[in-house]
Amino acid sequence: MRDAINVALRRIPAVALVTDEFWAQGDFIAASFGMPDVPRVRLPHPIAGTGSENHRIVAEKVAAEIIDALEMLR
Amino acid sequence: MSDLLEAVDEAAALERLHELGCTDGLPVVIPTPPRVSRMVLAVGHAGEAVLGEMGPLNGVCTVEKLSVAAVMAGCLPDHMPVVVAAALAIMDPEFDLAEMQGTTHATAPLIIVNGPARQMCGVASSYGALGPGHRANASIGRAIRLAMINVGGARPGTSDMALLGHGGKFGQCLAEDEEHSPFSPLHVGRGFGATESTVTVIGTEPPQSVAHTPGSDLTESSERLLDTLAGSLTAPGTNNAWLGGGQAVVVITPDHAGELALAGHDRSSITASIAERAHTRDGRPAFRSTDDVVVVAAGGAGLYSYVFPTWCAGGHRNRAVTRIVEIGQACAIPGT
Repeated sequence: MRDAINVALRRIPAVALVTDEFWAQGDFIAASFGMPDVPRVRLPHPIAGTGSENHRIVAEKVAAEIIDALEMLR
Repeated sequence: MSDLLEAVDEAAALERLHELGCTDGLPVVIPTPPRVSRMVLAVGHAGEAVLGEMGPLNGVCTVEKLSVAAVMAGCLPDHMPVVVAAALAIMDPEFDLAEMQGTTHATAPLIIVNGPARQMCGVASSYGALGPGHRANASIGRAIRLAMINVGGARPGTSDMALLGHGGKFGQCLAEDEEHSPFSPLHVGRGFGATESTVTVIGTEPPQSVAHTPGSDLTESSERLLDTLAGSLTAPGTNNAWLGGGQAVVVITPDHAGELALAGHDRSSITASIAERAHTRDGRPAFRSTDDVVVVAAGGAGLYSYVFPTWCAGGHRNRAVTRIVEIGQACAIPGT
């Protein structure tokens, strides 16, 4: 979330990818930086270390949502 | 001014503070306005004076808010110079406080006090200095934790994501035993004067005890001790062995310090020897510089020293920060 905020502060469109387990922390960080509406997309937890095949499956599921979130920033 | 809560008595106030998540789970001293005012006077600056921001909430840490934390922790006014210096240290960007509070790793500030402030504030350096029984050590460390909770906004599971945490997250504070150390003090090695008072603060894992019995061959024995300290700092599961490039703390107890001194070692040769021997899992040097090994002389007599691996992450790899303890700033406190 912090990375997405830092990118957004440079006026570059950004979408945070946040896993289920860290969703509440993402909300907290976004609010504490005064940017509660930073776009974010929910991923299943865990995602790290689950292998490239699983990453591909998850990416296919959320790609459209990420694109939609970016489109909303236009 | 901080927000005021109202309660019928102190027991009700304590329950309310627990309900609001403002405590560390243990009872606190209720921070009534008169108690907080006494702490502010002990700092010697206006209550609204801003010391910095604490992440991840980016809360503004004023003298008054830090005084609230100190009252809750059970501090005496005499402790405030060290509390203020430690708070300034953790808010230094190199400390990576916001990232450290939010990580899943178990990391907590370790506060090391040097110079005359040790005696003025009564910070213990010998037996059990990191355990129960020493008021200044316990309450100063706890004050910083309560500020991290209430100003920095760290709450378990939402903004403090430590998977388990550890006892040191309630507070870790000790003094260096300069009087019995054969080495120059830590703060002198970090560029401060011997008569200055400092705190050095670094985020650490729980300590790992390092057992060593001396042998009859002094050279062999001291080399074995340095090998053991370096190996313990880079045990396979530590971030120092996994990520590398961070810092770590070695607390050398008097028997081990004496052995190393007899073998001709001083502070800089110990840090260099440990850095030279410490490697990551994939064989890289675990430390970028000999300065990344922070050596402290403390503890009681016996066969165990301590090592504290660190998180080794954040924008600055959660580096140790040293700040001067300003003595003599306090205003007169009524009734003392």
